[in-house]
Amino acid sequence: DRHEDSVALILALVIALLVYLFV
Amino acid sequence: MVYTQRTPWTLIMGVIMVAYAYLVQSGALEVVIKYLGTGRHAGEMLTLGYTFGGIAILIGLWQLIAKAAEGHVDYYLSTIGGVIFIMLVAFIVKWGLDPQMAQWGRAAQPALGFNFASVMNLNYVVMGIVAGIVIVNVFKVPGWAENGVRLSRLGLKTGVILLGALYSFAELQQLGKLSIVLIGIFVLGSVGLVLWWGSRHNLPNSMTGVLSAGVGVCGVSAAVAAAPVVQAKSTEIAYTIGTILLFGVICMFLFPIVGKALGMGYITFGAWAGTGILNSAQVAGAALAFQPTGIETLKVAEIFNITRVLFLPIIVIWLAIWYVKREVGAQKVDVGQVLVSKFPVFVLGFILMFLLSSTGIFAPARHYQGSYFDNSDKVMIRKDRSGKEINNYLKDPDLEVLKKDAAKITRDDQKTALQRLIENKKLMSIEDDDTLRGVVNAKILSKEGNAVLTKAHRAVRHTAAKIAMFRDLIAWFFTFGLIGLGMQITMASIKQAGGQPLVIGSVVGVIKAVGSLIVVLLLVHETI
Repeated sequence: DRHEDSVALILALVIALLVYLFV
Repeated sequence: MVYTQRTPWTLIMGVIMVAYAYLVQSGALEVVIKYLGTGRHAGEMLTLGYTFGGIAILIGLWQLIAKAAEGHVDYYLSTIGGVIFIMLVAFIVKWGLDPQMAQWGRAAQPALGFNFASVMNLNYVVMGIVAGIVIVNVFKVPGWAENGVRLSRLGLKTGVILLGALYSFAELQQLGKLSIVLIGIFVLGSVGLVLWWGSRHNLPNSMTGVLSAGVGVCGVSAAVAAAPVVQAKSTEIAYTIGTILLFGVICMFLFPIVGKALGMGYITFGAWAGTGILNSAQVAGAALAFQPTGIETLKVAEIFNITRVLFLPIIVIWLAIWYVKREVGAQKVDVGQVLVSKFPVFVLGFILMFLLSSTGIFAPARHYQGSYFDNSDKVMIRKDRSGKEINNYLKDPDLEVLKKDAAKITRDDQKTALQRLIENKKLMSIEDDDTLRGVVNAKILSKEGNAVLTKAHRAVRHTAAKIAMFRDLIAWFFTFGLIGLGMQITMASIKQAGGQPLVIGSVVGVIKAVGSLIVVLLLVHETI
């Protein structure tokens, strides 16, 4: 579960960064 | 072993997606899009259709031609077929079923007297789960898609983390103290009640946890957010959502009847509906049924509704701690140490996004879910892309319409707000904006007058593009996750869960409805 949580967290942070930069 | 199953379906689905995006782009589907009213989704149809379709074609071709060898590449790429399968279902639900259902709901409204689509909450969230359940029970999930379905919980968790970006400290400060106290008592009280009852009746911890969040906070989205925290099974989520919706529909019809019978005022009723009813859409429905001609009730109910949703982070943290403690059981362990090693990381992600959003990097600080008020000249007069000037002040013909209609307004606060609008040619404050929204909803003015007021409202209300983007992304992650969850709910697993969750959920719901009625009648007067 830890592994899955970490993947979700990284995915969300990458998305947030993309939104911050490009939207 | 090798996980990738050789199948032409990934390639076929990819071709379908790309073809759909192409048809949208070329305008061949304009009639359909116009009928369903999904024009505002056209942009995402192209982006998502080409992106996922392209990935599916590439991977699908490669998996057909190359021989898969054991290893990480094979294992993780074997999920692509299932992911594309779920996305195809998501496209159908979100761009087809959801708008179609909304159409039918509106069409049947005159005959039924209410909009069944919004009352039953038949939106993409619920229909996604139902679609998944139908697929697994009627058709079976194909073998090549199984590994991809196991990614659905990852999608859900990512959606919950991003959900944090929609909240900010600033909006917490706008809420009234009374609504916070009232909601706090009832939210935390009903969560506590469900947790206590569930553990007495030896329900599984995961079932109790997800039910408590659903009954305590705000229904469906809370249940979805809490599910991974307590490692809930898909059946348990479906059960909770079923309980909430069934109970909410009953409440929606009973609350206005009881409210009228007791002669409750707008604010009292709004406070009661916002506290006692479980689901946001149904709170709005009850408030509008109680007062169809204005928005005072709706606004109060919304304030309570918002307060309740804002308790979600607290509940999530509480449940995380509760679950870890329960799972460890009565063994002598260092609770602090267990918490550190077991606490869900994605809950921390949710809090992190909330903090990021509070710094104002995604939207102006005083936003509520991305919408904010701004009437400065910077936004009232701006240039469009070709450099042409757009002036959002009301024009002389607009003002003439308002002056002609002004005599129809009887309430003093509405009169002065309209007068201020005519003098300044724009709305001067959030309060004026709200007051005149009430005039529009009550349909006091002529049709032209209402159009002018709506125009003035749109000129000062703005949506932060970044927050709007987050909302869209969250919706897609939830749709993906819930369709995948639905695909894990078989009839056998529903039988296994039994009827007890339904009973506990309903009893706690009734206690909350009656309890909040008594407290509201005692505490809330017609002022807040």
